[in-house]
Amino acid sequence: MNDNAISLYRAEQRRKIFLTALSLIILLLIISVWRITKGDWDIEFTRVIKLLSPWLDEAEKFSPEALVIRSVRLPRLFAAIATGGLLSISGAVLQGLLSNPLAEPYTLGIAAGAAFGGAIGLLFGTSAFIVTPAAFVGAMASLGCVGFIAWRSKGGSSQLVLAGIVANAILSAGVTFLKAIADDKLGAIVLWLMGGFSGANFNSACAVWGALILVLIFAFAYAPMLDAMSLGQERGAFLGVDETRVRIILLIITSLGVAAAVSSFGIIGFVGLVVPHLLRIFTGPAHRPLLLLSFLAGGVLLAGADGAAQNLGELPVGVLTALIGGPFFCWLLIRRGKN
Amino acid sequence: MSENNICFEINNLEFGYNNRKKILKNINAEINSRALISLIGPNGSGKSTLLRTLSGIQAYTGSVKINNFEVKNLSRKNIGALIGVVPQNFRPAYPFSVWEVIAMGRLPHKNLFDRMKSDDENLIINAAKRLEIEHLLTRNIMSLSGGEAQRVLIACVLAQDPPVLLLDEPTSALDPNQAAKVFKLLRELVKLEHKTVIVVVHDINTSLEFSDYYLALKSGELISQGEIKNLDLNILRNLYNSDFEAYHNERGDVMWRALAE
Repeated sequence: MNDNAISLYRAEQRRKIFLTALSLIILLLIISVWRITKGDWDIEFTRVIKLLSPWLDEAEKFSPEALVIRSVRLPRLFAAIATGGLLSISGAVLQGLLSNPLAEPYTLGIAAGAAFGGAIGLLFGTSAFIVTPAAFVGAMASLGCVGFIAWRSKGGSSQLVLAGIVANAILSAGVTFLKAIADDKLGAIVLWLMGGFSGANFNSACAVWGALILVLIFAFAYAPMLDAMSLGQERGAFLGVDETRVRIILLIITSLGVAAAVSSFGIIGFVGLVVPHLLRIFTGPAHRPLLLLSFLAGGVLLAGADGAAQNLGELPVGVLTALIGGPFFCWLLIRRGKN
Repeated sequence: MSENNICFEINNLEFGYNNRKKILKNINAEINSRALISLIGPNGSGKSTLLRTLSGIQAYTGSVKINNFEVKNLSRKNIGALIGVVPQNFRPAYPFSVWEVIAMGRLPHKNLFDRMKSDDENLIINAAKRLEIEHLLTRNIMSLSGGEAQRVLIACVLAQDPPVLLLDEPTSALDPNQAAKVFKLLRELVKLEHKTVIVVVHDINTSLEFSDYYLALKSGELISQGEIKNLDLNILRNLYNSDFEAYHNERGDVMWRALAE
C-alpha cells in the first residue's frame, strides 16, 4: 500500500463522516418541521415561518398559534434535541473513559443517583435551584459508589456494569421509599420522575443546552486522549495521558450534564448506549467525529421518540427508549459474548 | 537531554502489593543511554514489573531517576515524550484502524485541541514502513493476528519517537524471521538514532546477538548485570536453576542451550 492509497482511505473516512452528518442534519430538520407543524392543532409550515419572523406585528405576535409555537412546541423540540445529544455524548465519553462499550449514564447508576438525589431535593422544595444540585450530588455519589465497588472488586468492565445494576436496584428502592414517606409531596415526586418533555419550557431547554455545550467542549478537547484511553490496558497512560485526572474531570462534567437532564426531564435510559454504538459501526470509534455525530444522532433519536411518545397518548418518553433500548442492550451482550 | 551516559539511575528500588511478598527487592543499577539492554530472568521474576516501574506507571519506594529526574515526580505528559512502552499483550476494546492506533503515538506531543499535521502523518507512514505493515494501515485493529498487533504497537512507539523505549517481549507472537527483523530494527534505533532500548527477552541467544548490556532478575532481585559478553555459564545456571551447554553458531559465536532435567 502506498501513500496514495492511504490518502484515499482517509478521504473515504472523511466522506463517510460528512455524509452521516449531512443525513442526520436532514433528518433532524424533517423531524423539527414535523414536531412544530403537527400536534393537536396543525399549523401550516409557511405560517410557522411567518409567525417566527421577528418583524411580526403585535396582534399576530400574541395570537394563539404563535404562542403555541413559541412557548410550547419550540421549547419542547429544543429540549428533546439537547437532552438526546447530551445523553449520547455522555454515553460516548463514559464508554471511552472506562474502555467499556456497555457504560452509559443509565447502566452506571448515574441517572438513578440523580433521580434519588432529585427526589430527596423535592421533599424540601420544587424549585430547580434545589432539585438540580440535589440531583447532581446524587449522581456523583452513585457514580462514586459504583466506581469504588468496581475498583475494590478489582474487576474490569463487566464488574463496573454489575455494580451499576446493583446501584440502580438500591436507588430505585430508595426512590420507592421516598414516595412512601412523602405524604403531600408524593404527587410532585411521581410527576417529576415520570419525566418526559411535555412540561418543557424556555428555561429548562436553556439549562439542558448549557449543559450540553459544556460537556461537548470538554469532551471534544479531551477526545484524542479518550481515543487512547478507550483502548484500555493503560494505553493512555503510556501515551502521556494522566488517566486519573482526565477520568475525574470528565466524570464530574458528565455527571453534571446528566443531572441537568434528569432533573428537568426525568430518567431517559439507553439513548447513551444505542447512539454511540451504532455510530461506531458506521463511522468508526475515533472520538472527535463520534462526539459530534452523537450530538446529532442523539437529537434525532430523542426528538423522534418524543414525537412518537406524544402521539401514543403522551407516554413518558423514558418508557419508549427503555422498550427499544433494553432489547438492544441484550443484543449487545450476546454479540460481545460471540467475539 | 543531559550529556552524561547514564539514562536510568536506580537506587534501593522496592515494590510489593503488600509487605510480605515483595516483587522487586532492593534493586540498584545504572542503565547506560544509547545502548540496547536485555532484561532477562525466569518467568515471574519481576521483569515486567521493573519495566512498568521504569515507565513511571507504578508506585515504588526508593529512587528511579531518568536523566537525573525522579520518575514519579515527572508528569505523565513529560514521560510520554521521554519514554515509549510496548506492553506484552494488547486486546483493544474498540475497532480503531491501524492508522489511528499508530497515530496515537503522536499524542504526547500535542496540546488540547491540536490537530494532526503533515509531519505527524509522515512519521506515522514511516513507522508503518519500518515494520512492514503499510498494507495493514486501513485494517481494523481487532481483526489482526497477535503478531500483526504486536508490530502495530511497535510502530506506535516509533511514531511517538521518544529517546527511551521499553519493550516487554515484543516478539513473543512473531515468527522467527519477523522477530529477527524487529531486533535488527531495535539495533538500528540505538546505533543510528541514539535511542536507549530496554527489552524483556526470553531467548538468551537473541540477547547475546543484539544487546550491549544485560540485567538479570531472579525472584525480584537483580542478581547480575553488566556487558552482555560477560554473561557466562555460572550466571545462567544460577538465574534459571538449570544447566546450560555452550555451542557455536555458524559464525562461531558462543550460544547457550538450556538442558532440561
